[in-house]
Amino acid sequence: MLGGKTVKVKIDRDLHDRLRKVADVAGYATTEEFITHVLEKEMLHFEDAGSDDQIREKLKGLGYIS
Amino acid sequence: MLGSLLRRLRPRAAGDPVVVVSGLPRSGTSMMMKMLEAGGLPVMTDGERTADVDNPKGYFEYERIKDLEKETDKSYVRAGRGHALKVISFLIKDLPDDNDYKVVFMRRDLDEVLASQDKMIQRLGTADSSAAAEAMKEAYRNDIVRTRLLCRKRPNFDLIEVHYRDTVSDPAATARRVNAFLGGALDEGAMRGAVDGSLYRNRKA
Repeated sequence: MLGGKTVKVKIDRDLHDRLRKVADVAGYATTEEFITHVLEKEMLHFEDAGSDDQIREKLKGLGYIS
Repeated sequence: MLGSLLRRLRPRAAGDPVVVVSGLPRSGTSMMMKMLEAGGLPVMTDGERTADVDNPKGYFEYERIKDLEKETDKSYVRAGRGHALKVISFLIKDLPDDNDYKVVFMRRDLDEVLASQDKMIQRLGTADSSAAAEAMKEAYRNDIVRTRLLCRKRPNFDLIEVHYRDTVSDPAATARRVNAFLGGALDEGAMRGAVDGSLYRNRKA
């Protein structure tokens, strides 16, 4: 399911158990697939700089952008 | 790691760096501009936005920067080489790559930032159609992380983080750190003297 090369990441065992349970209920094929999906979604918050309309509106109100 | 290596290897083709004072609005950027000016660094400002109750010592802004996201001709930023230029964190991504940048990134408690911004919006009488406080905090957190990532990835960017509260409580330490980051030629005593702790009004207990 995971494309390309992979690396190992250590996480707390209890957290992994919780992730495994949620991944199972949510229908993911593997816990790894679920973790990858969650991390990719979270990364978008930081990488997609062009979509932050909330900040843009606030800054306009404050007079910091046109 | 790679970013800092590239920075060391990169020849200084762009002349003196532009000293960018950045951060969220109301995070102490104007205070830092005043410190740098007092320390002997020329500031790039047009003086259009004059001092008011929100910033009694002035804004130190350059109006055209507000259009940085939209404008295609950004060559005017070159005039900021060897100067301090205020650019809010949201617009850092739009700075042109033909300059080197030394970014002094101001940090302040997000509750204090939002409280100060809300007061400013009330005074300005502008419509605030932005999101609720918790959503704004999350958006600002992301904005800060994005700025850090961007400054690490782009080899012509170098960044130091300065905390507003620390600066007010120990201006000498901040003056020393910032001066060292910028090469050590500034007058630290004058920088220290430019900090007015009485302007720390939206203080979290």
